[in-house]
Amino acid sequence: MSVIGQCLVAFLFGSVVGLLVQRSRFCNTAALRDAILFKTYRNTKALLVGMMILTIGFTTFMTFGEGHPMYFDVGLNTFAGLFIFGIGMVLAGACTVSTWVKTGEGNIGALWALLFTFVGMFLFSLVWSANYWPPAPASMTGEPNLEALQLGYANAATLQEKFGVPAVVFGVVQAGVLYLIYRAIRRKEMAQEEHHHAMATHATAAQPAE
Amino acid sequence: MTPEFFKKTLDPVIALVAISVLDIFLFLVVGAWTVGGGETMMTGLIAQAIIGEEALGRLPFWTLVFEPDAGYWKIYISLGMLFGAFVGAVLSKEFYIRFPRRLSEWVMITIGGLLMGIGIRLAFVCNVSTFFGMGPEMNMGGYLAISGIIAGAWVGSMIYKRILEG
Repeated sequence: MSVIGQCLVAFLFGSVVGLLVQRSRFCNTAALRDAILFKTYRNTKALLVGMMILTIGFTTFMTFGEGHPMYFDVGLNTFAGLFIFGIGMVLAGACTVSTWVKTGEGNIGALWALLFTFVGMFLFSLVWSANYWPPAPASMTGEPNLEALQLGYANAATLQEKFGVPAVVFGVVQAGVLYLIYRAIRRKEMAQEEHHHAMATHATAAQPAE
Repeated sequence: MTPEFFKKTLDPVIALVAISVLDIFLFLVVGAWTVGGGETMMTGLIAQAIIGEEALGRLPFWTLVFEPDAGYWKIYISLGMLFGAFVGAVLSKEFYIRFPRRLSEWVMITIGGLLMGIGIRLAFVCNVSTFFGMGPEMNMGGYLAISGIIAGAWVGSMIYKRILEG
């Protein structure tokens, strides 16, 4: 596909995502923060459903060698980077998606967060080492490189190659685990609803009859 | 799209089902949904416009990893999200300019934004790639990233709670 074609597809995809996220108020930050702080799971459930569909979809196509999976080594920096990111998104009250979506709604705070995300990226580029660390081409060899705290590269396709089992089989297992988490959340919600219902009934019964 | 769509809040599960199906198409055509890469390229382009090509070229990151290129498709996902959200907000009469009210909010947003930018570049991925790309591809990095973001969100939530409680 031509560069212009890629950019058009990306813009079209982004536009639909922006519209759907704006109308649904979905937020990745809330999916984690609200579950941790307030024990509410509106966004967490949506995130899990999305991941289940994507896991089956991606691994099905990866079984036949189709699609464009991400290809780069991972390691301690992956954990550490997302740890820092996780703190940042809760403090900013928005993630990479909601900063764009909220900016589109006229939220200047979200635009400010976006600008400082850019500043953070630029500051990091000042200290980035082309030689070794933080992970650079020299330390990313595709294989585990423990000296550079790199674990190499592995995904459903490499598992298929290594074990001779179709990638989608691993995908079904992962989707099953995600479903179990989803079911546990639904059960917790139902227990909360029952508790609230019982409390409301008790309060009504305790009111004196006029 | 019915006017009703712009009056009621959409169930996020329905929104995510639709987004996931589209993401599978995107995965087949160019690659899974991601935001951090596009934002990094925008940072490079903005920096290039401010400090010039020569000065930026002295930083190895901008020559070896992200050489500024306006034709990088990931940029347009973010611009599309901005456009789609703006259209949705205007049609649903939810667009209005709003500012954080307290100084503490400005400080938290500033620190949060900086941490997000540094975190994305250290990890090479953002939250979107974590949950909507690497995780579903069963990439080993997806599990590391999900563990990291949950731990970070927990620490962030504790800080947030403490600030809320004064």
